Amino acid sequence: MLNKQLIEDTLTAALSTGGDFAEIYVEDRTNTGIVMIGGKVESTMSGRDYGIGIRIFKGFNSIYAYTNKSDRDTLIATAKKAAAAIEGNNGNLSINLIKADVKNINMIEIDPDTVEKTKKVQLMRQAYNTAFNYDELITQVTVNYTDYNQNIMVANSEGLWKEDKRVRSRMGISAIASKNGEMQSGFFGPGASKGYEFFENLDIDYYAKEASRIAVTMVNAKYSPSGRMPVIIDNGFGGVIFHEACGHGLEATSVAKGLSVYSDKIGQKVASNLVTAIDDGTIPNEWGSINIDDEGTASQRNVLIENGILKGYMIDKLNARRMKMDITGSSRRQSYRYAPTSRMTNTFIDNGKSTPEEIIANTEKGLYAKYMGGGSVNPSTGEFNFAVMEGYIIENGKIKEPVRGGTLIGKGMDVLNKIDMVGNNLLQGQGMCGSVSGSVPTNVGQPMIRVSEITVGGREGEV
Amino acid sequence: MDMKVMIDKLFAEGKKQGIEDMEVYYGGGNSLTLKVFEKELDGYSLSESEGLSFRGVYNGKMGYSYTEKVDETSIELLVKGAIENAQVIDSEDEELIFEGSKEYQEVNNFNALLADVKETDKIKFVKELEAECFKIDDRITSVETCVYGDGYGETIMSNTKGLYLQEKSNIAYTYVVVVAKESDDIKTGFAYRTGNDFNKFNPKELAEEAVKEALSQLGASSIKSGDYTIVLRNNASADMLDSFTGIFSAENVQKDLSLLKGKLNENIGSDKFTLIDDPFMAGGLSSKSFDGEGVACKYKKVIDKGVLKTYLHNLKTAKKDGVETTGNASKSSYKSPIDISPSNFYIEKGDKSFEEIISSIDKGVLITELQGLHSGLNTISGDFSLAALGFEIENGKIKRPVEQITVAGNYFEMIKNIEEVGTDLKFGLPGDAYIGSPSLKIKKLSISGE
Repeated sequence: MLNKQLIEDTLTAALSTGGDFAEIYVEDRTNTGIVMIGGKVESTMSGRDYGIGIRIFKGFNSIYAYTNKSDRDTLIATAKKAAAAIEGNNGNLSINLIKADVKNINMIEIDPDTVEKTKKVQLMRQAYNTAFNYDELITQVTVNYTDYNQNIMVANSEGLWKEDKRVRSRMGISAIASKNGEMQSGFFGPGASKGYEFFENLDIDYYAKEASRIAVTMVNAKYSPSGRMPVIIDNGFGGVIFHEACGHGLEATSVAKGLSVYSDKIGQKVASNLVTAIDDGTIPNEWGSINIDDEGTASQRNVLIENGILKGYMIDKLNARRMKMDITGSSRRQSYRYAPTSRMTNTFIDNGKSTPEEIIANTEKGLYAKYMGGGSVNPSTGEFNFAVMEGYIIENGKIKEPVRGGTLIGKGMDVLNKIDMVGNNLLQGQGMCGSVSGSVPTNVGQPMIRVSEITVGGREGEV
Repeated sequence: MDMKVMIDKLFAEGKKQGIEDMEVYYGGGNSLTLKVFEKELDGYSLSESEGLSFRGVYNGKMGYSYTEKVDETSIELLVKGAIENAQVIDSEDEELIFEGSKEYQEVNNFNALLADVKETDKIKFVKELEAECFKIDDRITSVETCVYGDGYGETIMSNTKGLYLQEKSNIAYTYVVVVAKESDDIKTGFAYRTGNDFNKFNPKELAEEAVKEALSQLGASSIKSGDYTIVLRNNASADMLDSFTGIFSAENVQKDLSLLKGKLNENIGSDKFTLIDDPFMAGGLSSKSFDGEGVACKYKKVIDKGVLKTYLHNLKTAKKDGVETTGNASKSSYKSPIDISPSNFYIEKGDKSFEEIISSIDKGVLITELQGLHSGLNTISGDFSLAALGFEIENGKIKRPVEQITVAGNYFEMIKNIEEVGTDLKFGLPGDAYIGSPSLKIKKLSISGE
């Protein structure tokens, strides 16, 4: 993407004022986005992102600069401008890049850029038709199609030099049901680190029906109860509970500065014995999988919590210095516009021993959250929240009537310690996670779990 | 390359390939961000970036494309991309390239003095901000985030119907998040300033605000579930309005995605509720003279004393409804197609001070922060259930801090139940729009806690 001499010269310029590490990141990415509303293609956008980020460390301090231009003069000038933020002398580092191969875990069969847009639109039309015809209460369906082809290069003053290609595909189906002047929505958004073959093998009708089924169920539902109660969270996207309640708190971004409630707790019990949690960027073709992270480190499987004991964090190069710990292949960024930092990839609670049937049958009273929406967390206080997209009342071990508009809130470790049943039906769900280094594709996942008590925010009284 | 030369070449190529009307939207600029942690400048970033968006009418349909490699090598891709994209459009709503408005009201978003502020002064400011936070109270154990940033941006719009518009702006911002700790209790406090006058940024004032916010929450606990009279503090109300701006978009109304469909000239809110979109507001960070389609912007009351007066339109939706565009076409960046968004969008202030509103309540809850706004509310149904922080109000006084609660209701119902509107209009951090609200007294919302 850039020639060796230019990379080496740019890195040398970046270190000209005494920086002890320099890195250059090049991104060349093509995007396609198509929006269909009411069965008609309303807008399409395609384009090319192109830019270069230069990063310099000196001790714990970091400098970042980016530009869209890749000519020699601009790159050297940008590197020097960034270096000017450090006061010091040339460290006389000699840089010798050695191009290294990247092991590809995400095999791509069909490059989406080679597929005609009309074929992509056909898939969207299928999703629309299935969702719209699901029930007469469905009044609108929006289908979003996205694919991208991201080519990156990372090189640094330690001699690392790697190139990689990331292809991702996703379709979002949003259905609206209307009844008596009220509207409710349902959503499904499957995605993968795959090319166009992802859509060819995808059961589009299933996801389209699910989106509509959720909307119709919710428009017929009463409001969620309120107060503290046992909650069963189903598998797949339900794993957002771990992502918010714990995952963000295990990112070095907050751990390194001692800001996380999980700082200095390695080896300590932070969750119920039933909880084993993993961040694994190496699962072939999963939405959050990466061959290498945005610092060029191969992704890996990181055990975060094992049987309730905190085992590890997600750590990037800069924070590794503060923490005096090893990097974990977790450094990510949305684009060249962001300096990378520790982020999640595919993060999930591992399988337990209970069957979903046992979990429900053993719950006398509470809420069953079949599908979750998104959430957020304040890592310093550990306070998190996330929304229930489709909920049901549980009574006497049976799933009863549907309820809508519930939100679950709590504080990190408290809720992890209250997980008292873990199912055996692990499933992954796809999402976009926003944080300091932008929005990155991540999986959340879990088997069905039960939390013995959590605050449910709704509009009705207790169950 | 000179931008005009680039644009001419692009239009010539487009014409050759059969595109009728064409338009270019160029955005470029630079930015600086400084972060301080424990007295050291631990983050420093700078950027120079640009991008160019192209759109054109091909066989009666509008096709879009963009590139961040703004040079001649991209011309072919831009034209090809736009044609391909136009070919799959099957919406019958006609998108237009606009020849220009008769008059444009000038707005001034550029302060040359900001460009002259020395970097050393900016660094000094952000270091002082951190130091001030620690000075105020021993319970401040860390300053989690302490940032100063500024940026310059310029946009050019040019089309084959003869329109050529240019605008430039600059902005500075600073924010700080402090952590307060008392035994096992940890609370954070946040404060920010925005604008393009560096001299108005006062580190002490900002530090005091963030520290006060964090300390005031120490010792918080939950509250009994139930319906309460609610005061939604200005920032919390502005955040919620920000999430619901889409309901006013004519595009959403026409596509059956807004419950405001068919409600024009109807009473949809309390008579104390007036909602204004003012692209010319003094100090407004979304002030502009022309919108994303080159149409002159205009002032409008969207809701006047509870009555819905207009939706927000662009050329396409206005044509469909047989009305004039309101000048709310938006292009959040060169990467996005034309959409609709407000500019400086705010709830008009009322006549009661914040203190007067509090003192009018026997038993209620003051909400000072809402969390999870991207997931805990449904813009289609209006339902919301949001994690919140705040205070219990008893006998007209703020009694104690409250945490681990949710506040739930429906936005369409809530705006009907506004009983008082404060005088304390405040604007949030700018995004696609600059959104503000005074504090609101709401008859009741559901609180879930213990």
